[in-house]
Amino acid sequence: MSVVLVIKEGKMVEKEELRKQAQEEKSLVKDISWPGVGSGANTSVVDVKDGKIVRIRPLRYDWKYKPEEFNPWKIEARGKVFEPSMKSLIPPLSLAYKKRAYSPNRILYPLKRVDFDPKGDRNIENRGNSKFIRISWDEALDIIVGEIKRMKEKYGMTAIFYQSDQHGENKVVHGCHGCGRKLLELLGGYTLQCRNPDSWEGWFWGAKHVWGMQPVGQQVPQANLMTDIARNTDLLLYWGCDQETTPWGWGGQQASRLSYWFTELGIKQIYIHPDLNYAAAVHADKWIPIRPNTDAAMHLAIAYTWITEGTYDKEYVATHSYGFDKFEEYVMGKEDGIPKTPKWAEEITAVPLRIIKALAREWASKRTSVVIGNGGPGIRGPYATEPARLQVLLLAMQGLGKPGANQVKMIEWGLLGEPKQEPLPRPMVFPNLGAAYTGSRPWLAWHPFIPKTLVHDAILNPPISWYGNETQMAPRENQFVKYTYPAEGCSEIHMIWTDSPCWITCWNDGNRLIEAFKSPKIEFIMAQHPWLENDCLFADLILPVNTKFEEEDIGSDAYSGQFNLVFPEEKCIESIGESKSDYEIVCMIAERFGLLEEYTEGKSIEDLIKIGYETSGVQDMISWEELKEKGYYVIPTDPEWEKYPAGLIEFCEDPDNNRLLTPTGKIEFYATGLAEHFPDDDERPPVPHWVPYGGSHQETLQHPRAKKYPLLIVSNHPRWGIHAQHEDITWLREIPTCKVRGPDGYQYQPLWIHPVDAAKRGVGNGDVVKIYNERGAILCGAFVTERVMPGVVSIDHGAKYDPIVPGELERGGAINTIAPHKTTSRNAVGMAVSGYLVELERADLGELMKKYPEAFKRPFHPTAGPSYESFVGGK
Amino acid sequence: MKALVIDITKCNGCYNCQIACKDEHVANDWTPYAKPQPDTGQFWTKVTDIVRGTVPKVKVAYMHDICQHCDEAPCIPACQQNAIYKRDDGIVIIDPEKCAGSRNCIDACPYDVIYFNWDLNISQKCTMCAHLLDRGWKEPRCVEVCPTEALKFGEEEDLKEDIKRAEVLHPEYKAKPRVYYIGLPKRFVAGAVYDPEEDKCLEGATATLTDSKSGEKFSTKTDNYGDFWLEELKVGTYSLAVEKDGYLPQKIESISTEKDVNVGDIKLYQKVKAKA
Repeated sequence: MSVVLVIKEGKMVEKEELRKQAQEEKSLVKDISWPGVGSGANTSVVDVKDGKIVRIRPLRYDWKYKPEEFNPWKIEARGKVFEPSMKSLIPPLSLAYKKRAYSPNRILYPLKRVDFDPKGDRNIENRGNSKFIRISWDEALDIIVGEIKRMKEKYGMTAIFYQSDQHGENKVVHGCHGCGRKLLELLGGYTLQCRNPDSWEGWFWGAKHVWGMQPVGQQVPQANLMTDIARNTDLLLYWGCDQETTPWGWGGQQASRLSYWFTELGIKQIYIHPDLNYAAAVHADKWIPIRPNTDAAMHLAIAYTWITEGTYDKEYVATHSYGFDKFEEYVMGKEDGIPKTPKWAEEITAVPLRIIKALAREWASKRTSVVIGNGGPGIRGPYATEPARLQVLLLAMQGLGKPGANQVKMIEWGLLGEPKQEPLPRPMVFPNLGAAYTGSRPWLAWHPFIPKTLVHDAILNPPISWYGNETQMAPRENQFVKYTYPAEGCSEIHMIWTDSPCWITCWNDGNRLIEAFKSPKIEFIMAQHPWLENDCLFADLILPVNTKFEEEDIGSDAYSGQFNLVFPEEKCIESIGESKSDYEIVCMIAERFGLLEEYTEGKSIEDLIKIGYETSGVQDMISWEELKEKGYYVIPTDPEWEKYPAGLIEFCEDPDNNRLLTPTGKIEFYATGLAEHFPDDDERPPVPHWVPYGGSHQETLQHPRAKKYPLLIVSNHPRWGIHAQHEDITWLREIPTCKVRGPDGYQYQPLWIHPVDAAKRGVGNGDVVKIYNERGAILCGAFVTERVMPGVVSIDHGAKYDPIVPGELERGGAINTIAPHKTTSRNAVGMAVSGYLVELERADLGELMKKYPEAFKRPFHPTAGPSYESFVGGK
Repeated sequence: MKALVIDITKCNGCYNCQIACKDEHVANDWTPYAKPQPDTGQFWTKVTDIVRGTVPKVKVAYMHDICQHCDEAPCIPACQQNAIYKRDDGIVIIDPEKCAGSRNCIDACPYDVIYFNWDLNISQKCTMCAHLLDRGWKEPRCVEVCPTEALKFGEEEDLKEDIKRAEVLHPEYKAKPRVYYIGLPKRFVAGAVYDPEEDKCLEGATATLTDSKSGEKFSTKTDNYGDFWLEELKVGTYSLAVEKDGYLPQKIESISTEKDVNVGDIKLYQKVKAKA
């Protein structure tokens, strides 16, 4: 029976029609997050009608279940209660994501460089400048198979370099990264690009030598730390932490809700950064501006204050640590004649000494936890091992692990499905879809390998050698193992196969990588990616990949800190153009080699999805039929969640029976492993130091280079994207902190500049500026603001690469093209991509347009940015 | 009748609301409620960053501009086509099929929340997602995606506790808006007090602000960093007095709170000790 709804004045729409409209929409559950290695978050509902995505919205956990069925948790502290939201807390990046499916930059069919002929001239020097033409899948596969065979014959399979990146879309059965590894293994081998522990540099290369923490050098356990903070902490130090931004791609906005609750509980929040980041903007009780990458000096001055005032936990240090006396020697100036006083630190950090002292005294008098969201640019700069180690040592000096005093993470909750990594009330089961996952596992070693940070050197300047990085999560001892490239009996690399790459705009010295891509040694580059952007511009062959909306899969929510979920993922829309999934692409290549059966182990996509469910951990909690019918399953909370010891309380109470993974089993102020293996390493000595400059880096104001490049740059994880993702979403680009529209109509990457520095250089808000050092220059849009301290400029990494002169001058704002070349330090091959010297000047657009007419004449989409049209020609 | 409450103190600036609105109304046709808005350029709900203060006393507040669905909406009588109407639930709709593109409503709206679509030749604005509410949704897209409950939507009666602590924008327009704001930023005066001779932060100093016009006083004590914040001030002129036992007092006159003010570091000098 239809009920009429009168809208107004004779205009009627029958409610029945509205109901029909609603019924025609299918609501499908999808994981729209970007860890890129299988475990996800940001569970969303995608409403689809007539083959089109209508909207993306949060999932309500109680959509198909009564809350009692999943035992919602609550944290009680100081007379108040914190509960999860009944809907998923997806960020704007997920809400806007259909724009990526429908992006004007989608690669619709296989593309080949116009001037690349595998049987004739390859014109390698034109990579990055050439346009692309459409070819058929058949032709593409012919080329790929031909090249792989040629590599095998001419050089051996190790000549094939497989990138296997991360932080593309989160897919399981259609693994977004690394599907090719298994096939290459079947074909006889390959050289792996081993990703450096880029999210965790300072912790991995530095802090591991202090407290041995596996897998990545940050505090484990994290168990129940949100409850610990709520009940026991008086002071939270957010050190290089932006929990309002960084977790967006990995877990949504629960961290935001917690931060508001901590304020409600009366817990003081101090933010220590060069810029007033998005978390500090709304949560800070105090912002302490500090020069980029000078935290080590501040840490040392705090230690000095505690030592001279006798306000550190001497007993704890005696029973829980090793080597304090040697550390004290350095701090008090007995080693180098320089006592690390607050006055000394004031010079370096620009933090007034009275504030350093006041902070040191407050920290010593209150139960204090340090919060990281992974540590930000503070642990991803030159010599980042030092501030990272020192942070842990300061925590140790105040009784690390006692109630209220831990290192707490705001991201990667439940990392690797490990219960100890979950700081919020844990579920009964951590979902594990590993058996269905076809992509790469970054913790599995492969030989031969090249660390991602050394790829350009490997290509341009072999042979090279380095220590450690056998995997992204290798234990401390691996850092003493030496590797070489080319490896014994292996070839140099001559072919690169990359999937959803993110190198030029995200790694160290992108300009150098561009040079490497154009080396005649690299005879063939093939890329798989959904969009024509960034590193793909340098490929000879590009294969179109579809987005997860176009694929069937199985997903989980493991990181959101709300409820953990398992859900089958249906296809929302048909594949755009001729795109296929990464997994399907590798299957096609496998088939050409007659290896399809071996590669797939005879399993279909449907089989894999089912296997994922059967081994997920929830197979005994819900039937497959019910799971498909309901669309998702909410894993109930572990009723005993509160009993798990919080953080490092067990180590704190009984260090001898809860040994750390260090040689002494204790916290090492003097790193015995480093003393044994690298005793003379002045860039990462056994006792952490303030290293103003050295052989690897000269990026502080203390170095003469600062005369020419007097500004320090801080480069954060992007606000409006995940690394190099999301760049062409018009709705994000309209936001002033996302892009600054220049007088030429181009949307530039914002560069935050303090009014004093802007005025000095005649720069006004909205001007196009050039930022540069010896490594090159980029153009950006001036965003003059009080949210950054004087002497410092801030620009997010990940901007879409748009070259004016490849390797020299770039327009999109890809700051990593001019980031330092060398790794964290001599023996630590992490990347250093923040906290370095630059200068800036107002750009003369008229002059630039005259000098580089071709680049400036290239069409760009007025709201989506550098466009597909610029790079594709022919049919 | 429906109301929307926006609590600025709970807004983290994620822009979920602005994006969800785009997700719903770009490239989706909800005639007779609304036609699609263009891909960019219209902001039926708009977030604006307000950066307050100067280094290091800086905060950010996020303002929200949205159709106020006024009870005395000036756009309604302004429309010559009678295309704009108010529903029983209070929501104001511009009928996209009746609109002739005259743009009188845009001129009439004092809140500047109506946009013109040059391709479709119609005026457009927020519909409170009436097309979804009529299907049974409890709230519009913007409210649904807000992670912190900074946005609340529902029957006025159910929101009356929040509405009591809220204010409306520009009551002097007499449009009787149905959107209520909690925590609209006023002004702050902040600073830090220290002893330059001992180079130490001064805790427990009293900072007193006097409104030059009304004489009203606002007072607080500095914390362990010597910091003080005096908040929720009106726009006006003030004088500041800073005092601490054992120190000579300091005064700063004519502080204008046209913008939020960071008076910077205030030095207090120790009183010369009397000789016995």
